[in-house]
Parts: sequence; C-alpha cells; structure tokens
Amino acid sequence: MLKLFYVTDIHGSNVCYRKFLNALPIYGVDVAILNGDLLGKVLIPMVEKPGGGWECHLMGQYTEMNSEEELAGVKKVIENAGYYWEHQTREEYDAMKSDPHAIDKLFKHQAYKRIQEWLELADERLEGKNHIVYICPGNDDWWDIDDMIGCMKLVRPCDHMLVEFDEYQMISSSRSSLTPWDTPREGPEEELGPHYEELCARIGSQPKDFEKAIFNFHCPPTDYSLDLAPKLDKDLKMAAEEKIHAGSASVKRVIEKYQPLLSLHGHIHESRGAQKSGRTLMINPGSEYSEGVLKGVIVMLDKKKVKDYVFTEG
Amino acid sequence: MAEEIAFARKASGLVRGLSMLDAFAVGFMNQGLTPGAWVFISLGLATFLGGNIIWATIASAILAGIGFPLVWGILGASMPRSGGEYVYNSRILHPVVGIAQSFGDAMIWLIWVMALTPLIIDPGVTMLGQFMGWDVSWLTNTWYERFLFYTLFNALSFVFVLFGMKVFAMAQKVIMFFGLGGAAVIGIVLTVTSRAKFTEHWDAWVAKADAPDLIYHKFAAAVGAEAGLAIPSSSNFGDTVGLMVAASWLFAYAYSISFIAGEVKRPDKSIIWANVFAILVPCTFMLWFGFALYHSVGFQFLSAASWNDSVNGNGPIAAAEGLPWSTNFIGLAAVMLGSGAFSKFIMAIMALSYIAFAIWLVTLSYLAFPRIMFAWGMDRMGPKWFTDINPRYASPMKNIALGFVLGEALLLYIAFKPDTVINIALTGLQITSVFAVTALSALLFPYRKGSRGIWDSSPFKKWTLLGVPVIVWGALVNFFYLGVLMYGLLPTQLGGKAAGGDWGWTMIGACLDAWVLGVAWYCYWMWRSGRVGVDVGVTYGELPPD
Repeated sequence: MLKLFYVTDIHGSNVCYRKFLNALPIYGVDVAILNGDLLGKVLIPMVEKPGGGWECHLMGQYTEMNSEEELAGVKKVIENAGYYWEHQTREEYDAMKSDPHAIDKLFKHQAYKRIQEWLELADERLEGKNHIVYICPGNDDWWDIDDMIGCMKLVRPCDHMLVEFDEYQMISSSRSSLTPWDTPREGPEEELGPHYEELCARIGSQPKDFEKAIFNFHCPPTDYSLDLAPKLDKDLKMAAEEKIHAGSASVKRVIEKYQPLLSLHGHIHESRGAQKSGRTLMINPGSEYSEGVLKGVIVMLDKKKVKDYVFTEG
Repeated sequence: MAEEIAFARKASGLVRGLSMLDAFAVGFMNQGLTPGAWVFISLGLATFLGGNIIWATIASAILAGIGFPLVWGILGASMPRSGGEYVYNSRILHPVVGIAQSFGDAMIWLIWVMALTPLIIDPGVTMLGQFMGWDVSWLTNTWYERFLFYTLFNALSFVFVLFGMKVFAMAQKVIMFFGLGGAAVIGIVLTVTSRAKFTEHWDAWVAKADAPDLIYHKFAAAVGAEAGLAIPSSSNFGDTVGLMVAASWLFAYAYSISFIAGEVKRPDKSIIWANVFAILVPCTFMLWFGFALYHSVGFQFLSAASWNDSVNGNGPIAAAEGLPWSTNFIGLAAVMLGSGAFSKFIMAIMALSYIAFAIWLVTLSYLAFPRIMFAWGMDRMGPKWFTDINPRYASPMKNIALGFVLGEALLLYIAFKPDTVINIALTGLQITSVFAVTALSALLFPYRKGSRGIWDSSPFKKWTLLGVPVIVWGALVNFFYLGVLMYGLLPTQLGGKAAGGDWGWTMIGACLDAWVLGVAWYCYWMWRSGRVGVDVGVTYGELPPD
C-alpha cells in the first residue's frame, strides 16, 4: 500500500513549509506532493524611523520595532504568514512605492530567495530518507521557479511531466482557468483543453490506461464542490454569501473522460473536500497558510483502489 | 505614519467573505431578542419574583460581555476555520473531550428545535391570534394538531438554510430588521404609557372580560393568593441573581458566531467585536424594556403578571382565564394600546417580532448542527458523507436533511408529551457541557504543549494584562458568570418556584448521555478508521514548525 501526502497553496509560509517537511516522518508517508501556489503575495517594507528603530504595517496594523529582538519577532511573523520583508530607508521606500517595476523586481528577488532556501532545506532533510517529494508550482507562481526546482538533488519537479512512483503514474499541471488577477499561469479554456489533453496523452488514450493514474492539477474541475469560491464584484470585493464555481471546465472534461484513480487539486483554499466523479476520487485539501495551519490529505493507495483518505490539519 | 506600508501582488487565493455585520447577525439572532426578552421577563420573573430586570441586565451584560467575546472571540480568531468549538476543545484539551463535548453540543442544537418550535406557536402565534380576536385554541388541542403546526414552522426554519448562504444571509437581514423594528415598537408603547394610563386601560380591559377582581390594585394579591405566596413589592439580591439565568438567553448565545468564523473577514477583529455588539444590542433593549415596564406597569404588578403568564405551564390563574390574552410583557403592551384598527396593526407588529425571532432561533439550529457534523467528518469522526457539499447550493444538504429528520422526530415526541422542564435542562446542559468546557480550553490555551503552535501563531498572543494573557482573564470571568448561572439553577433556588420538576436530573441525565455517546462515537470511529489503516490521530496532532 502506498501512502501519499498532498499539500497545496502554502503561499510562501515558512512555518507551513517546515511543517510539511516535518510531517513526512510523522505521518509515515511514501510520497509527498507540495503543490502550488508556492509564492507569497505581500512584501512588507521595514522602514527605518528617523530616531532609530523600524516601522511597518503588518496585516493592517501599524507596528513599531525599537529593538533587534522586536524586529526579529516581527520578521518571523511575516515569514510564517507567507509574506516577505525588506529593510528600507524612508527615501528608498518613497522612491519604490511609485515604481511598479522596482516593486516587482524586489518581490521576485525575495520570493526566489525563499524558494531557494526551501529547496535547499528539503534536499538537506531528505538526505538518506525514503520519502519521495515532488514540488509543483501553481498559477500564482512565476515561471522562473521551475528551473530552480529542476536543479535540486532530491526534490523532484513534476509540472507538465509524467512521473512514476511505485506502480502509479502522475501527470501535473500548474495552470488554471482565468482569474480576476491576471496570474502568470492562467489561461482561457481554449488553451487549457489541449494542454490537459496533451498531458493525458502521455499516459494513454483510453480510460483503462488510467486505472493507476493520478492527476495533480492545481486547478479543480468546475461544477463540483471543490471549486466553490465567494463571488467577487467588479471591485474584487466579496459578496461572500454567494459562491460561484471558479474551476476549469477542461479539467472537468479530462477527469470525466479518462477517469483516473485519483485527482488532486488546490487553488480554491476554501473548498476543502472530497468528491467522486465516477471512479475518480477528487480531493482539494484546502489551505489555511496565513494562520500557520498546514492542511493536507493523506491518501492510501492499494493497487487500483484508493483504500482510504484522511484530511490532516497540523 | 498614516499610510499603509505594504506592497501586494495581484494574486488569487484565500478570500474571506462575511462581514462583521453578518457575524454579528448570526450571534445576535441566536439570542432571539423578543422571545429572549419573554423568557427573561415572563419565565424569569415567574421563577424569581423579586428579581430586578435592570440589575440583572447590567450584571449579565458586563459578565457575558467580557467573558464570551474574549473566550469565543480569541479562540475563534486563532482557529478561524473551525466550525465551532469542537476543534478548539479537541486540539487544546484532548480529542475525546472535543468529540464528547461536541456530541453534547450537536444534541443541544437538535433539542433546541424541540424546545423552541413550540414557543413559536405558544406564545407566538397564539398571541398574534388573540390580539386579532381570532380563536386559536385549536392550534394546540390535540397532539397531532400540535405536531402539524410544529412541522410547518420547523420546515419553514429549515428551508432558509437549505439553499446556501446567499438565501440564508438575505433572509436573516430581513428578519433581523423586521424583528428589531417590532421590538422597538414594543419599547415605544411601553415608554409612552404612564402608570395612570396603564391602570386605566388595564381596569377597562379586565372589566370587559368580566374579571373585576383583577383590577390593577387587586391583581398582585389575586395572583399571590393562587400562587400561595406574597408577590414582593421590591427586588432582592438572590432573586436578581437567579433572574440572570433567564437573562442568559439574551447574552450567552452569540457563541454561534463560531460556526461561521472561518468565513469572516479579519477574524482577529470581527469575531470579538461581533460578539460584543451581539451582547450590547440586547442589553440596550432590555434596559429600555426594564425602565419602561417599571415606569408604566410597576415592579409588583410585573412580577405578578409574569407569574400569571408562565406558572408551571398550567395556564393563567383561574380569575384570569377569561382574559383575551396572556399577561406577558407584550400582552401588557397590547393592553396599553386600547382598541381600534391601528392598535391591532401595532399589536400584530409586536407579535410578529416575537414570531420572526423565534423562527430564526430554530433556523440557526440548522446552520450549526450540519457544520458540527462537517467538522467531525473532516477529522474522520464520522462517515465520509458528513463532508459532502452540494455543488449547486454550496451547502451540506445531507447533514441539513439529517438534522431536519431528527428534529421532526423530536417534535413528534414533544407534541405527544409536552415538557416545560426541557428549557431549563437545556440551559444547564449548555452551561456545563459547552460553555464551561470551552472556557477551560481558553484558560489552558496559552499553556498546553499540544496547542503551542496555534497559540504562537495567534494574533492575540501579545494581549496581556498584568503579564497574564487576556484570554485567561476572559476565561476566569466566563467561569464566574457560568458559576452564577449554575447557582441560579440550583434546585434549592428553584425549589418550590415555577417550572419545577426534575430538571436537575434531566440535565444530569442529558449531560451523561451526551458525553457517554460522544466517547462511544469517538472510540468507534477510531477503531473503524484504524481497521482500514487510517490513523485518525494525525488530524489532531500539532506538527512541529521548526
């Protein structure tokens, strides 16, 4: 029996990443998949105050740090929440806030730095261990990190690839359907359809070829319960009592057509759950990275069956 | 520095939707302003005749207003996707404690359907019919007539949650504002009526009903004679403390916000403030009602009227049986209005305020119960279908349907065997099995090794007072308040007073049943999951972050 551990959308959270690595021996997993989105979304400048110390806005609250100890504490909170920080003088901050290119450049610098730290830590922790770890980006992640993942010794890339472990075959995709945020890896359904079909073609062309296949698609299928997200108005504000389907019709189509053994998804943090589509078990473990909670799912595979699964929350 | 210093990428991801108003509404509506005030005044004063509404309100609002927001607000914001107190208690105390306590809570939410639905009919619909001059005695004549009407209102309550949060939130706003409006009308009527005017209207009313012995100056004596005790003319400390038990209906039930805490924007602020406002609004209304009633009706008369309305469920005193409607505080307001079409319209508004809030109390059982089961399902403490979400309505419809079926079964029982003791037993069960256990979790939260990671990530870790985390102070205040409530519920306090019966044994029995069943449930699912190789323990354990 194979024990697979799946986590998604940790968005730069240091504590969630470390928990992910620590979970491998605790949960006794054979294969672990860390799906995107991997990168954080907020960069917090720690601006030097004229009289000494630093100031920043953290989660909407103005915060002053007057000692190195306080500074270190706030930095840890920032990193654990999946954000990035940067020391700046007042002049540097004032110059940057009106320069989107500079902001973008700094964001990427900090994001890639953290990803590199993560990958190196994983290689260090996995040395001499039997766990197989795949890391796959998500739609929010810039394309540059793919090469970074590909350069590591023990962490394995899987995006847009067919990989095999034990008797199973897994195809992965970091793409998603269109979102209001113009993310790096999103695309219209006309583009996604052929993309997923091309991936599936690497396994086979008939449902019987997919009896031991696993889909690791960041974007969940539409019209099921794994892609329900609060509706947004034109100002991107939530009409939260109304939910809409934010998944992909193309993902839905290939799942229903090829009926893999298992289909793993992320992207919609709120839609934690599992649902069957014919013989395929589809799972989205959800995400609560900003609260430092690592949400995942352990799936037990036994030949051509999903023996069982359990959601985890550490 | 006024501007916000942060750069954010455009990126998809986690969205929290419900506003603080939505969270407040869930908490406030679970306290059912008008029916809650009826419980406070009618049931409360009937039991504790010398209780002072003003002081009971102030003491309750202060104690509940400190304890509950801090305990439930901080726990809810620290573990904001929890679906109720089950996750706090299982992670902080022990999984078996979490399940046992949660089993009790699930039972409580279901039994509230049984306890509250009859209150929609009587006094709610009964009062409305009586105000309009209709004969409504047939509503509750036989058990099957009772069951029919219970089912009607139970189904109405259930439908509001069946089709997802959009329908629920829309209906909640409408009912809340309508109910608040009606409650304000009650307050205005009570306020603008002088003692002299009330006496004049009351005397005319009882004269018309051929009950001359019940004129204002004789009423308290008449009630006292039938009750076999003197109706006090002033308040006393002991009865005021006892009155706080009935008052808790209006101040202790905003904890329902925890069931939607995972969907609230800025949970670090919203949940606490929603709890606070859900207590302040009923406090404001009860102070208003209290001052207005003492001014227009008078202390002794009000206590006598409450006893007449609520005593033992046996109906009014003999001399008052011919009165057109009962003498609860809404009935007294109706007396102040006199006759005429406009008066009837106002009476209808007042009665409908009660009915609207009462229906919503049942609706909230169908919000909470399914979410408790969903949380269990996620931890494999139940069958997998506990976590099924209907993709069209984004709603756990199977759990809601199960709740409705079980609710109906309980309503069939209560239609056959009416029981007034259940309300008191439920209050006691909730105080011990839900509130006290969760207060214990709050007390231990900063110190338990098993929840260290969650506490370290909590936005409230730095809230301290005299070096002690604020959540601990909140838990201590909460325990004190719960202690006051349990004191008020003691059989020695209730002995010989209204609503007697073996409520104490009922409560203890229900508590034991819930906890024993909960432990059995936990053991079964641990065994069953282990049999297929699933270690359920992984769902509860903290992962080391370093």
